[in-house]
Amino acid sequence: MSVLLAAENLELAYGELSVCRGISLEVNDGEIVALIGANGAGKSTTLRAIAGLLTPRGGAIRLRGEDITRLPSHERTMRGIALVPEGRRAFPFLTVRENLELGGFKNRGDGAKVKRMIEGIFDMFPRLRERASQNAGTLSGGEQQMLVLGRAMMSEPTLLCLDEPSLGLAPLVVRDIFRTIRTINEGGTAVLLVEQNARYALDTAHRGYVLQTGSILLTGTSAELGKDPRVHEAYLGRAATRAEAQ
Amino acid sequence: MTATIVAQQIINGVVLGSLYVLVALGLTLIYGVLVQINFAHADFVTLGAFAAYFFMHLLGGSYLASIAVALLVGALLGVAINLAIFAPLRHKGSELLPLIATIGVSTMMQNAMLAVFGPVPYAFETPYSQRVFRVAGTFFTEQSVIIVLVSIATIALLYAFMKFTFLGKALRAVAQDRETAGLMGINPNYLIMLTIVLSSALAGMAGAMLAPVLVLTPFAGTSVIVKAFAIVIIGGFGNVEGTILAGLLVGLIESFTTQYLDPGLIDIVVFGLLLLMLVFRPTGLISERREENV
Ligand SMILES: Nc1ncnc2c1ncn2[C@@H]1O[C@H](COP(=O)(O)OP(=O)(O)OP(=O)(O)O)[C@@H](O)[C@H]1O
Ligand SMILES: [Mg+2]
Repeated sequence: MSVLLAAENLELAYGELSVCRGISLEVNDGEIVALIGANGAGKSTTLRAIAGLLTPRGGAIRLRGEDITRLPSHERTMRGIALVPEGRRAFPFLTVRENLELGGFKNRGDGAKVKRMIEGIFDMFPRLRERASQNAGTLSGGEQQMLVLGRAMMSEPTLLCLDEPSLGLAPLVVRDIFRTIRTINEGGTAVLLVEQNARYALDTAHRGYVLQTGSILLTGTSAELGKDPRVHEAYLGRAATRAEAQ
Repeated sequence: MTATIVAQQIINGVVLGSLYVLVALGLTLIYGVLVQINFAHADFVTLGAFAAYFFMHLLGGSYLASIAVALLVGALLGVAINLAIFAPLRHKGSELLPLIATIGVSTMMQNAMLAVFGPVPYAFETPYSQRVFRVAGTFFTEQSVIIVLVSIATIALLYAFMKFTFLGKALRAVAQDRETAGLMGINPNYLIMLTIVLSSALAGMAGAMLAPVLVLTPFAGTSVIVKAFAIVIIGGFGNVEGTILAGLLVGLIESFTTQYLDPGLIDIVVFGLLLLMLVFRPTGLISERREENV
């Protein structure tokens, strides 16, 4: 297994406000890696830096050894990094099909291929096929999550970064989404998964990192993290209570 | 008799409105994609008009070719203003900076044109201004027919570009969510450049069509830009369909005010409408789609 993505000692800040210090993490080919942590720990900020939406103040990001720290986000997409951002961000006034087409912007010269790939996404999410010519803004939360997942897959990523895909969705839909994430991974795409729902995240991922107020507190295989008393108390305990309440 | 007068004013209004739509569309596009205003837009109209004038009267080109020349000059001005102002100032913090800089460009262009072309109006004659059609008591020139046809063709092309091409869809994506568009692999800077060039080309082209109808001086564009701004606001900032409707509406208001009230009242009526819109329908004519820019 070779290292696909490596973040080395990242310092991330919004203006004067330092948010993450000394973040180092790796994603290997074929892996699902979870990044868990409480609200405001810096999970989204870390993903944004990896996708190129935030330039780190220090440290480096490498994709297969190549330094991409200062590359703008659109060039990272071309190199195989896709991000489904926090809040999903479907283009609300473009149709479902148009959203998917734009996901395949990389292949815009090959209309037939884009069409074929869209059919593939529709096979994965038949609900989207029915709504192909509907504006994305009119979709339900779960449908939008399917759409942005499909849209990200249209760029044929080697690394798929997901920011809280379960947020605001009913448990049944969440289970579907996670099943899809595993299917995508089995197809050969590495996944970096940010989740507050630590139970789902650790059930899905091979390895994980625990982020606490801008630093990595713990790392290990999902099984190790699941057994760690600190993780258990801080994340799994609460998640379990929440799951029971639902 | 009155029916003929009304029909005549409708024709005049649609011709004027088509010109206004061409000028206002560029403003709307730039606002929709960048949330910025190009105050030099009026002067792009004027320079487009002069380019067409000199191409025809000095170089002996045909009028239709001179429209293409004006379009090209507008496009080049768009490239220049993007390189000089919009691109470098985008990340400088304040959204006011580019806006103020374009006011500077406008002043410079007006004074330069005044120095070069002088204040005396130019007579922009085209062979089409002379030929008049008479239909059921109304009359209109071939020039008017050209204006309306070119406007319709432009709007149709623009619509097809936005709706059916990858680039047009990318442009709408950038207008809706620039950051997420970048995540699709779209370079937003490139599409912003394209928007400014398209808008400015429209301005140049509008100049070539407007100068034979109105008066060609270094302030030709300025005289219509205020109405164009009113149209953009009435149409709902950044809304293309709204802008087209509002442009025609203002053209009609102008022709009917001239006929039944007094030409001096045109601006009062237009801006009265603008105020009413701001009070009762601040999101523009087509408000249910107000969040869609472009
Ligand atoms: N655009 C911004 N400007 C300033 N501060 C920000 C910005 N975005 C996030 N922050 C701050 O950075 C810190 C980390 O935020 P981040 O969004 O990365 O957390 P998170 O781990 O994703 O949290 P959540 O689980 O709530 O999504 C927070 O304290 C937040 O207030
Ligand atoms: Mg977050």
